[in-house]
Amino acid sequence: MADVVVTSLERPVPPATSQAAPARAPRPGGLAAWARRGGPSTLLIALPMILCFGLFSWFPIARAVVMSVQYTNLVAAPEFVGLENFTYVLSDPLLPVAVRNTLYFAVLALLFGYPVPLLAAVAMSEVRRARGLFAALAYLPVVVPPVVAVLLWKTFYSGADTGVFNTIAGWVGAGPFPWLQDPDWAMPSLVLEATWAAAGGTVIIYLAALTGVPPELYDAAEVDGAGIWRKIWHVTLPQLRPVLFITLILQIIGTSQVFTEPYLFTGGGPANSTTTILLMIYNYAFGGRGDYGAATALSLLLAVVLAILSAIYFRTTKRWSTT
Amino acid sequence: MSGPTTGRAAGPATDRGIISDADLRRPGVRRGLRGVHGLLLAGLVVLGLGPVLWLGKAAITPTQDTLRAPVEVFPNGTDWANLAEAWTRFDIDLHFFNTLWLALGSWAVQLLIAVTGGYVLSVLRPAYARVLGALVLSTLFVPAVVLLVPLYLTVLDVPVAHVSLINTFWAVWLPAGANAFNVLLVARFFDGLPREVFDAAKVDGAGPFRLGWSVVLPMSRPIVGVVSVFAFITAWKDFLWPLLVLRDPAVQPLSVRLPALQDYVELDVLLAALAISTVIPIAIFLVFQRLFLGGAGLSGAVKG
Amino acid sequence: MKSRTTAPLAVLALTAGLTAGLTACSAGEEPLSLAEADALDEQEVTLTVAIDEGLADEAVAAFETRAAEFTEEHPNITVEAQEYTWTGTTFAADLAGGTLPTVFTVPFTDGRGLIEREQIADISALTAELPYADQFNETVAQAGQAADGSQWAIPVAAYGQGIHYNRALFAEAGLDPDDPPATWDEVREAAAAISEKTGETGFGMMTSSNTGGWILTSLAYAMGGRGETNDGKQDIATIDTPEYHDALSYLHDLRWEDDSMGDEFLYDWGTSHADFGAGKIGMLISGGGDYGNLITQNAMNPDDYGVTVLPLEGDDAAALGGGTLAAVDAKASPAEQAAAVQWIDFYYLGKLTTQAGAVADAEAAAAQDQPVGAPVLPVFDKATYDQTQEWIADLINVPLEQFAPYSDGIYDQPLAPEPPSATQDLYATLDPVVQAVLTDEDADIDALLADAEQQVQTLIDRG
Repeated sequence: MADVVVTSLERPVPPATSQAAPARAPRPGGLAAWARRGGPSTLLIALPMILCFGLFSWFPIARAVVMSVQYTNLVAAPEFVGLENFTYVLSDPLLPVAVRNTLYFAVLALLFGYPVPLLAAVAMSEVRRARGLFAALAYLPVVVPPVVAVLLWKTFYSGADTGVFNTIAGWVGAGPFPWLQDPDWAMPSLVLEATWAAAGGTVIIYLAALTGVPPELYDAAEVDGAGIWRKIWHVTLPQLRPVLFITLILQIIGTSQVFTEPYLFTGGGPANSTTTILLMIYNYAFGGRGDYGAATALSLLLAVVLAILSAIYFRTTKRWSTT
Repeated sequence: MSGPTTGRAAGPATDRGIISDADLRRPGVRRGLRGVHGLLLAGLVVLGLGPVLWLGKAAITPTQDTLRAPVEVFPNGTDWANLAEAWTRFDIDLHFFNTLWLALGSWAVQLLIAVTGGYVLSVLRPAYARVLGALVLSTLFVPAVVLLVPLYLTVLDVPVAHVSLINTFWAVWLPAGANAFNVLLVARFFDGLPREVFDAAKVDGAGPFRLGWSVVLPMSRPIVGVVSVFAFITAWKDFLWPLLVLRDPAVQPLSVRLPALQDYVELDVLLAALAISTVIPIAIFLVFQRLFLGGAGLSGAVKG
Repeated sequence: MKSRTTAPLAVLALTAGLTAGLTACSAGEEPLSLAEADALDEQEVTLTVAIDEGLADEAVAAFETRAAEFTEEHPNITVEAQEYTWTGTTFAADLAGGTLPTVFTVPFTDGRGLIEREQIADISALTAELPYADQFNETVAQAGQAADGSQWAIPVAAYGQGIHYNRALFAEAGLDPDDPPATWDEVREAAAAISEKTGETGFGMMTSSNTGGWILTSLAYAMGGRGETNDGKQDIATIDTPEYHDALSYLHDLRWEDDSMGDEFLYDWGTSHADFGAGKIGMLISGGGDYGNLITQNAMNPDDYGVTVLPLEGDDAAALGGGTLAAVDAKASPAEQAAAVQWIDFYYLGKLTTQAGAVADAEAAAAQDQPVGAPVLPVFDKATYDQTQEWIADLINVPLEQFAPYSDGIYDQPLAPEPPSATQDLYATLDPVVQAVLTDEDADIDALLADAEQQVQTLIDRG
């Protein structure tokens, strides 16, 4: 799957439409002229992209729209059902639960995964020696394959008194906690692992942005008599604003499609407390019923919401860059 | 932060940060800073290294010890046989190489599409580039999840060719190429290159192929590095898509195979398998540390 | 030709061979009969067959021995083994993706839906040729039949739900392993004793990947309930009933009053059996035929294994029955279909129908120290089953006396089939209900069941 997390944030400046170079539209000079100007070679070079996007992006997108108004299980011939898939999905009692869970995951992921990496990165940016060691340690969990991380943390999360985390909690007289085995605990536990696995990457992004803060700004602030905290508050954070905003949007778009953690940790349980929208889509399509129409209908609904989010994001960044 | 910023993180680190040398001369600040850094280092060791070290320990600890006294170190000795059993019974090497193949192939396809696509959109700019660019751009707004089902059906029966890619690496490699982000990233990088060079080459009679091969490609090393890191990491972490299209255990990467093991193996052998699967990427990371951290940091800069 | 089952078939084959010679290669895409397939030995067929996932090397070796014997009999067929274990969460993807082996197994649960939607090959013409085609136990055979009674899938194993228990944990808890609990109250007491005395899980409960609904339904059946009833026109979900309510209350008490269900409430089939095999669960309700998996996949110590029947209490109480069907990929060519049925006949049913098959299978397993002779329910009738056990009596290496509480009791129990419509959906809908009761002390059982019943009805109606 293409990594949407990454994809959606590029501020798109479609090069072909940049105003600087007026498009050199070929005057109607016939095929021969086109060929002389290297038209066939250009087309040949464009072909891999056209084919790849055509087959694996544009065609499936069109197909999704078609499928959402069909009832199909891949065996019988697809049957046009109008908006029935949408009404079915929207009236599924699980949908509000999954929406709530997904939002909950996103909010928790922000609470866990937003401030701590920022603080760590700010502190780390002031390390003058062996910063590489700090960065490597922070990044290490990111290198652990996600599935390994989940299975490892599943062991940590054992609900037994002698589970890893419960033993540690026992040292300070707390626990044992049910971690994955309780509807109220399961989602925070999932987010905790997801944060562990991803925070290193965020730290490194912030760190890179921090080194990009022009030193003159600090110099200027010092001339005005600013102390360390005021420098952080008035220089560092405002300078980080674009990166912070981008990681925020990224997180929301990424977490709205979370799958690996609930699928492997809990299968959506206990009692649907970790069933996310993507898990629901997966279950419609591949979880036994083979209800591909309902699955694509729900996908499209989610896509609309995410597209609105992206639009807000683009508008906001545009406003920022023009002021 | 507007304009091409790709160079920023790659540039030299600034020689000062929030805290000035004057600040540092104050003992309170120095002590506080040292304290903060000490805490930070301790936290990073416990959180970053701790779980990985525990996994290494558990891999050679008998199941019962791991269950009953998980944080003690070898209360009843070690059990090295776990590693051998994990390796031989579950073909870890096979699945590891599958993982590597998947990542390498995805990387190659993504690079090919991104570079040729970016080249066409930014440098060659044929008449249809505007439409093509808009079409590519539009896919940025379509989240991957929308494609899950229709893309799966497409891979089952590729239009025109009418072959099924299921259980072949192509099912992962080819869709990976349709990544608009990469294409636009490269195109934007090419936009920043001096056009005079291209025009001069054209005057010398270079066609699209020669222009691309001997002028543009040599200049695109930085962006190729960025795209490579993205492509490789994304492919390495992929789970849901390979789970769907690689059903035959013989072609499955570790990420798909490992969860299936937990039904069949004792905990100690599973943990040994997890440990083996972790050692290799960590080793790669340590060797190419600079590339990884540079790439990750760069992604932030690019995103900004 | 071939040795075993097929004496009558051999005759058929001869005559068919003659006629086939006359009509030469006219077979084309017409379905081949088994006899024709036998006669056309020169026609090369490659057959992908299922082999259980994650088997120990010895079990793989036993399988390979059998496969070699098969190709010796059918030199034109190349057998390729593909790892496959039916899993609720991935089966639909496999089916849609065409990545199943040509011969695969599915639970009885899925038979009816697959046949209705024509998602497996119609091999009824081939199965009708099998010499024992009309000897299947009637209720067992129905699991693989289309509405018109034709046999699309072949039942190869049957079981009634039982309680698997760990004899070592029983002994440690001061219970008599030879006298397992016979009422639900006794089960509860035993579970509490095991939790109390051993610290392990007294009563393990599957709750994920549709197993929660399956086991809850087993409990409800044993208390006199049924998941669906037919009102003469269609199947009606009957979940919001006193029996389901009792079953959930029973689980609630074990969990919250006795705390005898351990600390893992997201078990699915695989993980629960892994933990049972590792000695971490005192009692576990599951199909009665799980011994083989526990030994070959989960390395359970055979001495610790015990199994007994579910207590049946209340009017109309019954043990939920189930089993395994062998089915053939819908896209298989006629030649592959014929080869597939020959494989099913040889590998799955040979050991149940012929002395040579039974002995060969038992020898292959015994040579690799794999379990031989674990009691199961008969696919045919009890007499046939007893006969096969007699054939392999010398090779039986499982502790039969440890199975006695189950094998002595199961024949006296009424066995009831699973709810017929949208069965997996019914189970899937009940998973979160069971999880809610086990993870939330204040779960509202009435509301949960009412909601679940409505959802299941919607799914039955959506088809």
